[in-house]
Amino acid sequence: MKTIVITGTRKGIGQALAQHYLNKGWNVAGCSRGDASIQHEHYTHFSLDVSDEEAVVAMARTLKKQFGQVDALLNNAGIASMNHALLTPASTVNRILQTNVVGTFLFCREMAKLMRSTKAGRIINFTTVAHPLNLEGEAIYAASKAAVESLTRILARELAELQITVNAIGPTPIETDLIRGVPADKMEALLQRQAIRRMGEVKDVINAVDFFIRPESDFITGQVIYLGGVN
Amino acid sequence: MPDRSEIETLVLESVRLLAEDFEIAALQSADASSTLYASTGSLDSMALVNLIADIEEAIDEKFGASIALADEKAMSAKNSPFRDVSSLVDAIIERIKS
Ligand SMILES: NC(=O)c1ccc[n+]([C@@H]2O[C@H](COP(=O)([O-])OP(=O)(O)OC[C@H]3O[C@@H](n4cnc5c(N)ncnc54)[C@H](OP(=O)(O)O)[C@@H]3O)[C@@H](O)[C@H]2O)c1
Repeated sequence: MKTIVITGTRKGIGQALAQHYLNKGWNVAGCSRGDASIQHEHYTHFSLDVSDEEAVVAMARTLKKQFGQVDALLNNAGIASMNHALLTPASTVNRILQTNVVGTFLFCREMAKLMRSTKAGRIINFTTVAHPLNLEGEAIYAASKAAVESLTRILARELAELQITVNAIGPTPIETDLIRGVPADKMEALLQRQAIRRMGEVKDVINAVDFFIRPESDFITGQVIYLGGVN
Repeated sequence: MPDRSEIETLVLESVRLLAEDFEIAALQSADASSTLYASTGSLDSMALVNLIADIEEAIDEKFGASIALADEKAMSAKNSPFRDVSSLVDAIIERIKS
């Protein structure tokens, strides 16, 4: 039985991804700051902040004992803040960088260690179209995801020797709490910049994740796929 | 707290296992004075990364201590703790204590 680690599984895209891999018969180890929202015999929840180094290391040790190894990691946990740069306090900047960049990095580091023995590890990071589209009002969020993309490309090289691929997915807007605060006219303007002008759905993300995870994708690494025809 | 010889045994076991995996002849019968990651050492950076991850896991399994060997202290130390077996043992003892 394969084991996948998914961060940010309490709600949103992460919760749907966890459900998808449980349905496919995987062991799923999820985490979020809050308590588990999924009850399943093959689901294990860790209540932690992804930027808490000690907690992430402890989670990795538990997984090692419980499952021996990890086959795939989805660095889905992420937060955004939509605000004009001149109105953004440093505390918000730090919070976003901690979760999106430090959290992603720590999980890559600790889970890569547990993927060594599989000789076919898969890491998938989460970026956003806000970065390539240079969306106004999302400077810090987009900058944090630019860092995630850079991490993805460099780790792809550093981890290639361990037969671990590292790729990223950049969804367009999907109806979750993350984008609840975005005004309707802003959202419409954003959709107009996509090649395919519709809202994204969780199934679009699942499709791209499945592609990166397939055994046949072992020659695909360091890539960023944006949904909706954004580039 | 495990004593020095227990930790040394654990390190040597990890080094020998790694030496087999990576086919590093010089380390297959490693002892306390074996050079690891230094200009005259036998490990490349990928082997070192693997060794450190193996040792961190083994320390947790055998002694229930969660330590990070590649911390800031190790990166900035004038004499790298990854130089040879005995410096690595020292570094582990220091981190289990704190
Ligand atoms: N929805 C979109 O339109 C969209 C578009 C592009 C990219 N994305 C990306 O997709 C990913 C998922 O977004 P989403 O829309 O599903 O967001 P969401 O509905 O707000 O869910 C975020 C999840 O992450 C967890 N989380 C947040 N901060 C955390 C932390 N510091 N430590 C641990 N867990 C944390 C949350 O649980 P807790 O609150 O319990 O911690 C929650 O389960 C993000 O990386 C986001 O940037 C989303």
